[in-house]
Amino acid sequence: MKNSKVVKARSKKVLNVIITYCILLIVAFIFFFPCLWLILASFSKSGSIYSFDGFFPKEYSLDTFELLFTDTVMYNYPKWFLNTLFIATMSCILGTLFTILTAYVMSRFRFKTRKAMMKGTLVLGMFPSFMGTIAVYLMMTQFNLINQQWGLILIYAGTAPMGYLTQKGFFDTIPYSIDEAARIDGASNFTVFVKFILPLSKPILVYTALTSFAWPWSDFILPKMLLIDQDLQTVAVGLMSLDETQFARFAAGSIIIAIPIIVLYFCLVKYMINGMAAGAVKE
Amino acid sequence: MEQVKQKINTFFTGLGKKIVCFFKSIPSKLKSRFAGAKEIITQGNIKVGASMCIMGLGQLLYKQWTKGTLFILLQIAFIAYFITRGGEDLFGLFTLGQVKGDAWYGIEGDNSIVMMLMGLLAVVMIGFYIALYVTNIKDVYRTQCAEDTLKGVPTFKSEFKSLLDKNFYKTAIILPLIGVCVFSILPIVFMILIAFTNYGGTTVPPELVDWVGLENFENLISLGELSATFFKIFGWNLLWAVLSTFINYFAGLGLALLLNKKCVKGKAFWRAFPILAYAIPGFITLLGFKFMFSYGGPINYYIQEAGGEAIGFLDLNSKWTARFIGLGVNAWISVPSTMLLATGILSNINTDLYEAARVDGASAWKQFIKITLPYVIFATTPVLITQFINNFNNFGVFYFLRERVRSEGYILANNTDLLINWLYRMSIDNKYYSIGAAISLIIFIVTSIISLVVYVLSPAYKQEETFR
Repeated sequence: MKNSKVVKARSKKVLNVIITYCILLIVAFIFFFPCLWLILASFSKSGSIYSFDGFFPKEYSLDTFELLFTDTVMYNYPKWFLNTLFIATMSCILGTLFTILTAYVMSRFRFKTRKAMMKGTLVLGMFPSFMGTIAVYLMMTQFNLINQQWGLILIYAGTAPMGYLTQKGFFDTIPYSIDEAARIDGASNFTVFVKFILPLSKPILVYTALTSFAWPWSDFILPKMLLIDQDLQTVAVGLMSLDETQFARFAAGSIIIAIPIIVLYFCLVKYMINGMAAGAVKE
Repeated sequence: MEQVKQKINTFFTGLGKKIVCFFKSIPSKLKSRFAGAKEIITQGNIKVGASMCIMGLGQLLYKQWTKGTLFILLQIAFIAYFITRGGEDLFGLFTLGQVKGDAWYGIEGDNSIVMMLMGLLAVVMIGFYIALYVTNIKDVYRTQCAEDTLKGVPTFKSEFKSLLDKNFYKTAIILPLIGVCVFSILPIVFMILIAFTNYGGTTVPPELVDWVGLENFENLISLGELSATFFKIFGWNLLWAVLSTFINYFAGLGLALLLNKKCVKGKAFWRAFPILAYAIPGFITLLGFKFMFSYGGPINYYIQEAGGEAIGFLDLNSKWTARFIGLGVNAWISVPSTMLLATGILSNINTDLYEAARVDGASAWKQFIKITLPYVIFATTPVLITQFINNFNNFGVFYFLRERVRSEGYILANNTDLLINWLYRMSIDNKYYSIGAAISLIIFIVTSIISLVVYVLSPAYKQEETFR
């Protein structure tokens, strides 16, 4: 009697494990298959999606990647890539600086307008994100500032501090005793920030830099609105203009732009989890 | 249900009390605010008076040459600005231009939109000047106090140094603040103003734009073709936001729990697949799925192989298929981030709780319902609200999947469009700026009401109240 119960419990456990792994396999398939499809497509010999056997290309070759960088008359991919890299890097540097400074000030200093500013950012966050973008677009057309990459960079960097809460949550966890000890030794607030706080906040610096790089890297709304010249376009806008007959080119271009981000994410996934959890349990 | 009602009731009765308290506290608040001003007026010496008349004069009398000169120069600059154009600009904000341009007679007309922006700038400048004026008086008074207490008049150099020490926060916040003001606040204020004008359609400069009050909102809400489209889109938008948030949240949580199971070996390996999906830029995913469901795409290929007709999954006649594809694609993109978040939170749960529950003989399901779920929901309420708002304003999904489709019975939209897609088509593609601005204000009102209510009902809010 007792024996059969044990057997039952064990078989139940085995069944549980099998089901778990089945679900995991299905999940892995769902997430991996579209990626695999794009990777295979980028190696296809013919560019059009109509010449595929379902998900799989008929013949494989490296031609598409070569075409991507040599055949630049209609679709100037190298140029798009450099534009995107420039815009994303610049906005990443400025945006990270702004966000970290804002978060640090909000976390460490108590001044009169602090509460008002914090509430203000919450309210501003409720407005649909590109309501402001449309206004910027209208203003820039009025003053003929359209078609400027710097305009785009300033917009990305200028709006970045709005998302300071995660970073503030991180700074809140650094104990005050560090500041106090340094202050007693005669360090100014600036020195405390640069010499003591910044070295301790590498994880959040990395997280901030990554998020503020990934956003312009993959954004399509702003560049589409504000950069009209073909030569100034970014990869996102450029890839949007490819149709079904250029499918292989689209796949190859996507893979090249996705790889740096994917590598970064995998290196930093630990920081990301911590950063997100820190931001979740906020005030 | 009763509980929810009660909570809402207590919130609103509490709100009433809070409002009454707020108004009652106004006199005392004003008093404390102006106590400083009163002190300065009664206690200030002649030099403070000098600064009140001409900015910077008091500082000069205290021999703070650099600072005094700076203040005086700023004042001169402001007065010059106000006389040459500021006053006119301020007036223009109300009229929005009176002279219509006419190329035939060579009349250069008023550009209403530039006038509105310049008017806004004038308002900002006046505010800046007032703030500067107050700073100037306070500064002289502080110098007076320092002299009276024999601390000595601070030099320009020492004050400059304090910007890196005592006043470091001012130095640090100034650039981000300017950025947010110029690229977030100013555009939003501008758009709010636009919502009350007739800017757009054929009424764009050189035509004159005018204030129309609430007309745009009336057009959207009262009966008519525009309001029919509005309510259809609004209904679907709400449904979409609720469904997609629900799906993403519980799928992500489920996935995190699954990966958290003890029997799963090689967690990093299994976790890699969703992270891969998370790392791919959204536009690539969306364009990829559009290709997948297109006429020549692989799905239709297999349908035709099996002897069927090619289906236009995302075409004109496919209302619900397109909507379901949208939900699925959105889940593909967003579930991994919820999973990462939930993983982080689950690792913080106190394992003693489970130990105790197991000793008491609680089943796995009971443990999930009584420990895991309340904890996770408590910790993620703010994120849940953010996700809801993001989904409500999810522009990308249907922009990529069905950009060129227009449905019957909709003005400049199709049956999967969300309000934000409609707003984009209205303002950018078709230049109906004022209606677009009105739509964005409505989105703002709806999202803020919903998030306020959710926040009030959430355990995080209740907890916070008990801690105070």
